[in-house]
Amino acid sequence: MSLDRNETATVERLRPADARTCADILRRAGEARQTVRVRGGGTKEYLGDPRPTDLVLETTSLGGIVEHVPADLTVTVGAGTRFRELEDALARAGQMLALDPPHADAATIGGIVAANSSGFRRARYGGVRDLLIGTRCALVDGTVASAGGRVVKNVAGYDVNKLLIGSFGTLAVITECTFKVTPLPVATAGLRARFRRAADAYAAADLVARTPARPAALAIDGRARDAWELVVLAEGEPAAVDRAIAIAADAASARGRAERGDVTAALTALRELPASADGVLVRASLPPAAQTAFAEAAMRLEGFMRLVSDAASGIVRVEVRGDDDVLVAAADSLLADARVCGGSARVERRPDRLRARVEAWGDGDVPGLFLMRRLKDAFDPNGILEPGRSVVS
Amino acid sequence: MTATERTLRAGIRGRPLIDGLVRLLGPSKVIGEHPEDLLIYEYDGAVDTATPDAVVLPDDTADVAALARFCHEHGVPIVPRGAGTGLSGGAIPVEGGVVVSFARMSRILEMDVANRRAVVQPGLINLHLSTAAAPHNLHFVPDPSSQKACTLGGNVAENSGGPHTLAYGVTTNHVTGLEIVLSDGTIVRLGGKAEDGEGYDLIGAFVGSEGTLGLVTEITVKLTPLPEDKRTILAAFPTMDQASASVSAIIASGLVPAAIELMDQLATQAVEAAVGAGYPLDAGGILLCEVDGLRDGLDELASRIEAICRENGATTLRRAQTVLEREKLWAGRKGAFAAMGRLAPAYYVQDGVIPRTRLPDVLRTVSEVSKRHGLRIANVFHAGDGNLHPLVLFSDMRELERVHEAGLEILTACVEAGGSLTGEHGVGMEKNCYMPLQFRAEDLALMRRVKTAFDPADLANPGKIFPTPSRCREFQLHATR
Ligand SMILES: Cc1cc2nc3c(=O)[nH]c(=O)nc-3n(C[C@H](O)[C@H](O)[C@H](O)COP(=O)(O)OP(=O)(O)OC[C@H]3O[C@@H](n4cnc5c(N)ncnc54)[C@H](O)[C@@H]3O)c2cc1C
Repeated sequence: MSLDRNETATVERLRPADARTCADILRRAGEARQTVRVRGGGTKEYLGDPRPTDLVLETTSLGGIVEHVPADLTVTVGAGTRFRELEDALARAGQMLALDPPHADAATIGGIVAANSSGFRRARYGGVRDLLIGTRCALVDGTVASAGGRVVKNVAGYDVNKLLIGSFGTLAVITECTFKVTPLPVATAGLRARFRRAADAYAAADLVARTPARPAALAIDGRARDAWELVVLAEGEPAAVDRAIAIAADAASARGRAERGDVTAALTALRELPASADGVLVRASLPPAAQTAFAEAAMRLEGFMRLVSDAASGIVRVEVRGDDDVLVAAADSLLADARVCGGSARVERRPDRLRARVEAWGDGDVPGLFLMRRLKDAFDPNGILEPGRSVVS
Repeated sequence: MTATERTLRAGIRGRPLIDGLVRLLGPSKVIGEHPEDLLIYEYDGAVDTATPDAVVLPDDTADVAALARFCHEHGVPIVPRGAGTGLSGGAIPVEGGVVVSFARMSRILEMDVANRRAVVQPGLINLHLSTAAAPHNLHFVPDPSSQKACTLGGNVAENSGGPHTLAYGVTTNHVTGLEIVLSDGTIVRLGGKAEDGEGYDLIGAFVGSEGTLGLVTEITVKLTPLPEDKRTILAAFPTMDQASASVSAIIASGLVPAAIELMDQLATQAVEAAVGAGYPLDAGGILLCEVDGLRDGLDELASRIEAICRENGATTLRRAQTVLEREKLWAGRKGAFAAMGRLAPAYYVQDGVIPRTRLPDVLRTVSEVSKRHGLRIANVFHAGDGNLHPLVLFSDMRELERVHEAGLEILTACVEAGGSLTGEHGVGMEKNCYMPLQFRAEDLALMRRVKTAFDPADLANPGKIFPTPSRCREFQLHATR
């Protein structure tokens, strides 16, 4: 990793036990103009274009469930809590935080929020931005501030939560989060359908998305030009789940071969893509109907390995392997295609040796960037937080 | 209505302002030549009033940008206005300036069925969007009770909700793109038809900003498939306590209905007189609950809800058998505010939120406040998400101070219960002085940073959301006493 400097002894690692200490660390770092990396479970260190920092602030001591009122369907949790730990605690009360992020064993709540990390379940339950209702954060001026609250509906003042989601630690250090939680589904069922053409897989997914079936996952897995699979997960009340799967089977059967069965393992594997750090991984967010064209272009790229998409939300990940020139060309092409399709994309992973040749955000031309920079200045005027991690910093 | 004392800003006013605007945009887009024409723009759905210095009716984004540049250059506040149904004085020019009415920017620009998105102008009326989407089996989820009048621009500015946002999310959960004009005239496009963008979620920060970060000139929203079927249940209880206990029990049982609305006896009387929805008049509390989605299993869900209501003492249980019957039940709920005219000449609606488990005790506090002040208070609200709407009834503007006091006591109880000052109506100029009840100075400073980044000149709808020294001094004295 290019972050090697952070692995050496010269880098100071700090593990504050509460928000106050965290803010003090940030204030001192700001005064000393020391740069700070924020680390939760360390599952997303490759994201963005991070540069070595003087300090590493680890959030793992900011853990634990602060408050869970099952009857209110809300939970407040320290940012350093591992997702799995929260999931288990909620399950004991018959509830869940309806996110299914990758690396759920190691990933922390703060990291999931900061990276806006979501899985396929956002199709039914929404993503981080739909479930997070409150945050506490430590700021570089040494203050601790709260945004939102602990009730599920709240429009008092600006929704600063939204700015922290996907900010990758560049605005503030998230120390605590409050979420809406959901009762565990009574019933679950799955379906897998195989197609010869990408267009057929997407057409089937679109048919389902157009009904009120509200599947809990509508994932598409492309492994070669002629090998596409649609993975459908339905959750909820038994009768509705049965019917949702029947709808999906109908939609798929016109063009492919459908088979009912457990899809848990299949979805887990798709979420964790890719296993290797060798290739390039591009993540695009697209208007739903543009996914077919994007996928058809992607599968023709030299070095195309795999495409995984959350077809309901238009989130597509493409993995490419090959020599350096192949990787550079594919990354450029995918970033450009996403834009032509009316969406945006970033390179989530590339080999370290290509960091200079493959920019995480291409030309970095993001709409509203000047406003984002103003926000960054208002929160972190000296730019000490997570340099290079986000397109803004 | 009370004319609120305006804290006027520097910047041009009067003749020079009107003349400048007419030169900029032409006479057909400017109101203010005759001061009496401004009167209808001095109030909204709340109780405060203030007369604008001028009103502008832009035709397009270019007009809005030109206007904003002009106002910026001359130090004139700019106050966006949709249909004026807002319930927190958001569209009232409390510091003077130009009101921008979006009445002429009310078109659906694109119905993108393939992507399940619509691109609309901010002046579009909420219901018109769902009506236009219905032939495609789609709808726009947020359904404020004012949906026949309120605009998408207003919905975005207030992050509006409605009965059916309990299960499917409020406005912010359904916006994927915005075009905004900053107070210096810069046009910024944010997002589009995709769900995520790169960088910070500026759309998320903008939705609910009440016109204080800039003006929305175009909105891209998600459209959602219409449910295949619905079951709508009316449950009548002898007391509000039982009705609210049922709400908690339904939520706690793991059911997630599409809507759970509550209404007390006073509200029921008004609604029955005005709409004739068929609500039993002798009930202490009435619950409206709806489940929807795929047809399968809906009857079973409805039966479970009915069983919970019965266990909690429901005396009447009715399931709508026809579409017409369902629509009548909802017409009663959606017409409830308007029906208050049957009970009193005026009402002041509050909008506090509480954790759902606190419903019974906070409702008791509301009735104590009512007794203490000798003011009748009707309750009709989004119980499923703990969003109270106590309607304080009064007949005489001289009572207004007492009415405000009662409202403040209710809000204080909501905040003390761990809730919020507002769930959907916004802070506006009505609750900005109360913000310190809910937020510490550091929390407000966090919001200030956002304001400064978008609107450094503080010309976008000034005097809203944040406590202002001039108007809040009195409240602060009050609070520290
Ligand atoms: C009878 C009744 C029932 C209601 N029921 C509900 C309900 O169920 N749920 C709910 O959430 N609300 C409800 N409301 C409140 C109100 O209807 C909503 O807040 C609505 O969204 C306001 O829309 P409007 O077009 O009337 O906006 P206005 O009142 O004109 O303005 C509201 C705010 O939006 C700003 N604004 C307007 N247009 C723009 C723009 N283009 N760009 C930037 N800012 C803009 C204004 O400056 C102001 O701050 C109800 C109101 C009434 C009178």
